[in-house]
Amino acid sequence: MSAFGQAFRRFFGEERDALLLGLLRLALSTLLFFNGLRLVLEFYRDGYFADYFHMPLLPETWLPSRSGYQLLLGLQALAALCALLGFCSREALLTASCLGLYFLGCDRLQYHNNRYALLLLAFLLAFTPCDRAFLLVRGRRHTLPREQRSAPTFARRLFQIQVSLIYLGSTIGKLLDADWRGGQVLFMRFAKTPAVSATHGLPLPAWIIEILTSAWFANLAAKAAIGSELFIALGIWLPRTRRLALWLGLIFHVSIELSANVELFSWLMVASYLAFVVPEVRERRFEFARGKRRAELLARLVAVCDWCARFEHGPLSSASTDTAAFYVTNRAGQRATGALGLAQLAEAIPLFFPLWLPLALYAKLSARPGAQAASSA
Amino acid sequence: MPRSLLNLSPRLRAPFFCAYLLVQLGLLLRAQRTPDLVFGFQMFNASSQLKISLFRKVRRHGRVRVVPVRDGVWESKDRAGTRHTYRWQDRVRDGHLNNLEQFVHASYGLDAQLYRLEFALRDFVRQLPEGEETEALIAEVDTRKNGRETAHVRLQADRQ
Repeated sequence: MSAFGQAFRRFFGEERDALLLGLLRLALSTLLFFNGLRLVLEFYRDGYFADYFHMPLLPETWLPSRSGYQLLLGLQALAALCALLGFCSREALLTASCLGLYFLGCDRLQYHNNRYALLLLAFLLAFTPCDRAFLLVRGRRHTLPREQRSAPTFARRLFQIQVSLIYLGSTIGKLLDADWRGGQVLFMRFAKTPAVSATHGLPLPAWIIEILTSAWFANLAAKAAIGSELFIALGIWLPRTRRLALWLGLIFHVSIELSANVELFSWLMVASYLAFVVPEVRERRFEFARGKRRAELLARLVAVCDWCARFEHGPLSSASTDTAAFYVTNRAGQRATGALGLAQLAEAIPLFFPLWLPLALYAKLSARPGAQAASSA
Repeated sequence: MPRSLLNLSPRLRAPFFCAYLLVQLGLLLRAQRTPDLVFGFQMFNASSQLKISLFRKVRRHGRVRVVPVRDGVWESKDRAGTRHTYRWQDRVRDGHLNNLEQFVHASYGLDAQLYRLEFALRDFVRQLPEGEETEALIAEVDTRKNGRETAHVRLQADRQ
């Protein structure tokens, strides 16, 4: 078989652990449910969309009647709930996402990029084996044993490409817009910040206002925003830059969530990063010293927050003469404690991931050669 | 092992993959040429604003006159002499288009909102009953693109 044929077979026949896809299903179906709930609330508050001005992308005759729309809204919410609970989850995910896409086609005025992105990602997730873990309807046996979780995950690659396309589309749009490129758009937004901040009882110091209302700062911020998006879109594909791209993306979305109204967009994109996490589980090790209160607390925290099942947990052997409170062994076999150990924990635990870069930098700057890390591979 | 209809057979995976990507790329490229960038993943709003003022073109005593529509509401009599009230906001619920006489944020940019406004005018005129005196609905729109000087656009929907 030719090299191309082998690569083709490998790409489309790839089988990986599907545990993280289950977690991703939980996140996306929750967002889908809230998206459906919003439509239901809008229906009861504002009425049937076709009773007033609307702009269908589909032919007018394809639009549902009032009662049909009501029925489909209920069906969408129900399907999202089934996907969340793990009852016919993939079919439910497909139903909810297709109905959502149909609703977007019914009225262009309801179109928002974040809603469209959510529906596309949910659609693609339905084609992955996301029904092998976190099936809440099964109670404590919610996750299948490891050997049954391994399944073809080619659609995960499509999901990843879609995430990249979202960032690329956004980058291209900004690059084509001279006002965005030049910082004029951000300049206008930043100029409002002092007044908005003051109305919330947080008046900004004069020097910050001077920076925020300066053209050079807006120009720089625009270039940084475009550069960040481009780096996230491309950097997530390279193993060497992926972690940094995901970290930058997380900070980027937290800052957007705090400064702009983007509905579910930030949550969606941060959740979608799960598709870029190495699917195999328990490839790292966390060991802690029994009897040390802080170490035991950390161990409990790691056990609770290790949603991606990155770590094998266990106490340090009693024969160990080490005095360290804990050790973290990463996938490369690098065993570390102290700041570097915490950085290795943070890089693998979603909730602590924002701390990864500061901790890693601190560890790098403060470490003497060989002081914290000792290869155990 | 869970069985699902969505487990694509190896033969179907590559066509599905390619078809999905082609559709997405096509939509993404097409979006750059549509005024409201629909399907284009334009995630962040521009900082433009617009102010819409509505006018009606009516024929009275044989003369065509342009009369302002205050707060989006006007009254007129039908052929039978019954008075009817017409309200822009009853038909156009979109928050960017139904705010009249004041500057509002142009979500997805000015082109997007002007494009939608044009459709809204046509839609409103289409809904007017036979015999109502309005010959055309006009929107005089002041625009401020990303904080620049105010410009002016006039949109008109004629009665067919």
